[in-house]
Amino acid sequence: MIQAYTILLDSLRMLRSSKLFWVSMWISLLVAIVYASVGFTQTGMSVGFGLWDFDVPVIREGSPESEAFYLLLFTDVIVRFWLGWFSLVLAIISTCSIFPQFLQTGSIELALSKPLSRLRLFLLKYLGGLLFVAVQTGLFCLVAFVAIGIRVSEWNVSIFWAVPVITFAFSLIYCVGVFIGVATRSTVFALLGALLFWAVTLVAQWTEDFVYKMAYVLPEVGLSVNMQTGEFQETPEDASSGMKKTYQRIQSVTKVLPKTRECTISLKRLIRFQERDSMLAGVDLGSVFAGGDADPVVKEAMQKYELRHSWFTIIGTSLIFEILVLALAARIMIRRDY
Amino acid sequence: MSDFAVDIETLRKRYSNGVEALAGVSLQVPYGSIFGLIGPNGAGKSTMVKSLLSILRPTECRGTMLGEKIGNKSILAKVGYLPEHASFPAYLTGRQVIEYAAGLANLSRAACRSRCDMLLEKVGMTEAAGRNIRTYSKGMKQRIGLAQALINDPVVVFLDEPTDGVDPEGRIDFKNMISSMRGDGRTVFVNSHLLAEVEQVADRVAILTKGRIIKQGLVEDLTRRDARYEVKFHGQMPVALLEWCHQQQMKIEGDRITCRADGPLQIQPLIDRLRAALVVIREIKEERFSLEELFLQAVTQSREESVMAKGGKP
Repeated sequence: MIQAYTILLDSLRMLRSSKLFWVSMWISLLVAIVYASVGFTQTGMSVGFGLWDFDVPVIREGSPESEAFYLLLFTDVIVRFWLGWFSLVLAIISTCSIFPQFLQTGSIELALSKPLSRLRLFLLKYLGGLLFVAVQTGLFCLVAFVAIGIRVSEWNVSIFWAVPVITFAFSLIYCVGVFIGVATRSTVFALLGALLFWAVTLVAQWTEDFVYKMAYVLPEVGLSVNMQTGEFQETPEDASSGMKKTYQRIQSVTKVLPKTRECTISLKRLIRFQERDSMLAGVDLGSVFAGGDADPVVKEAMQKYELRHSWFTIIGTSLIFEILVLALAARIMIRRDY
Repeated sequence: MSDFAVDIETLRKRYSNGVEALAGVSLQVPYGSIFGLIGPNGAGKSTMVKSLLSILRPTECRGTMLGEKIGNKSILAKVGYLPEHASFPAYLTGRQVIEYAAGLANLSRAACRSRCDMLLEKVGMTEAAGRNIRTYSKGMKQRIGLAQALINDPVVVFLDEPTDGVDPEGRIDFKNMISSMRGDGRTVFVNSHLLAEVEQVADRVAILTKGRIIKQGLVEDLTRRDARYEVKFHGQMPVALLEWCHQQQMKIEGDRITCRADGPLQIQPLIDRLRAALVVIREIKEERFSLEELFLQAVTQSREESVMAKGGKP
């Protein structure tokens, strides 16, 4: 227990000494404060604690839509883009040096000469890296929790699901950085490798997402895309069998890859707000801005699309991938001479 | 229980690239002694220490450390280590480095606090303990390194080139600190290529070259071997006495007679004869082989043997 505490404390000290940690922390707080500064007026919404007003009658003060909009802003913009993207990039940049630095000659010997198994050392050091995201996301969620409580009068602790989920999403990329860092002892290789791998998984997930929409969502609402003109056209539902086969092939590839994007998107399933009698209920912010109405057929198709992956597909397969990569990294670290 | 803190029957390490760093080394380090492992760069000194501490995986290792099989992680709780070119996390203060080592050694916070203060005092770093380690000089880092090696109150302490990069004043401090460890009942294993320093503090030494131990034993025994006496005289030496000296394999250069002798008894006949011949004796000095001479002799001999074995000329 003392050893675990020591390694985690050391990780925290290392993070605190990193400029990027503080840059990331301040940006994170800034985003949280900007979110908290969004308010609603008689004519629409305001940003910057009333500094800038925007006339959007549908989300005026007191309307159920304003509350739904405020919550959508959190789940569809902040979680998806800030927590799911930018903060993760900053975290990867900050933490990719942990293992290469730790494995430097003169440094690793100190730890290895103590009565502590290499596997335990590896795992604790790995957990230390995850602290970066957990601490930052935790603080962010705290501000968002208070902001939502004050603005919407809903003290919703499910917001804190973001902490484990975002940390898990980060860990899926971080484990690749750790593997490369342990194998090469180079921060540059670890960072580039992790980012490149992330890009590959994202392309795979976007492709899967796109092909699913073409194969299932569009036919369900009676549409298809004319591949020559790129325009939508009405078609019977069963006209997409070719696309479905393509989707199955793509799915067999994406299944084995970690699903960072799906993880952050799945937060919407976990962060549950009270049912509101709002026309924004059950829609996403993208369609709100696109001016889409809540057509029941479209809504149903979109709900199916959002729920197309089971928890096992999102978390389970990603976890299997992570365990395999970590096992390989641990094996290298355990068997190597220093 | 064995009399030896470290008792290596055989230790062999061959790297994956085929280099044999240790070719079946065997050595014993008694409890409470200061043991110096000396050898040229690349001889395998650090490899040996790292193998004992499980930092390296030896190809073959039979032996015990503190009564337990070498490689058993639990014995490391009673072992301290200062690596060569120790690189402490730059974001820690001196005190935090020691606390970090204490935590990894599973030491309780209370025990750590009391020992930390005592050790900082001992290594002369109390005032600078709160400063960030990146602001330290090499000597200060080594002092903190020594303190962290002692934080768990170890029975055996391994110091790999402890005075490397330390200024002369610091080296004297280090020598005194190492000597005081013997007083505390610890066994100290020092790796160094600074032979004069090892000679001053060590009870026993082993000379390692090309992964083999070519000489080992008590410093006193090794340096006494081939010990000699130097007698300075004044005036003329009678021819008969000169001849006698030559017969006894003594060397005469000017006013100086050098004779090999294991002890003072062996030079008494020379003194008697000089006195009988009314030759004035100005000075009698016991000259031992320094560790440096011993080391050079052993290494040269080993090199020659190796060349001979390959069929070349020495």
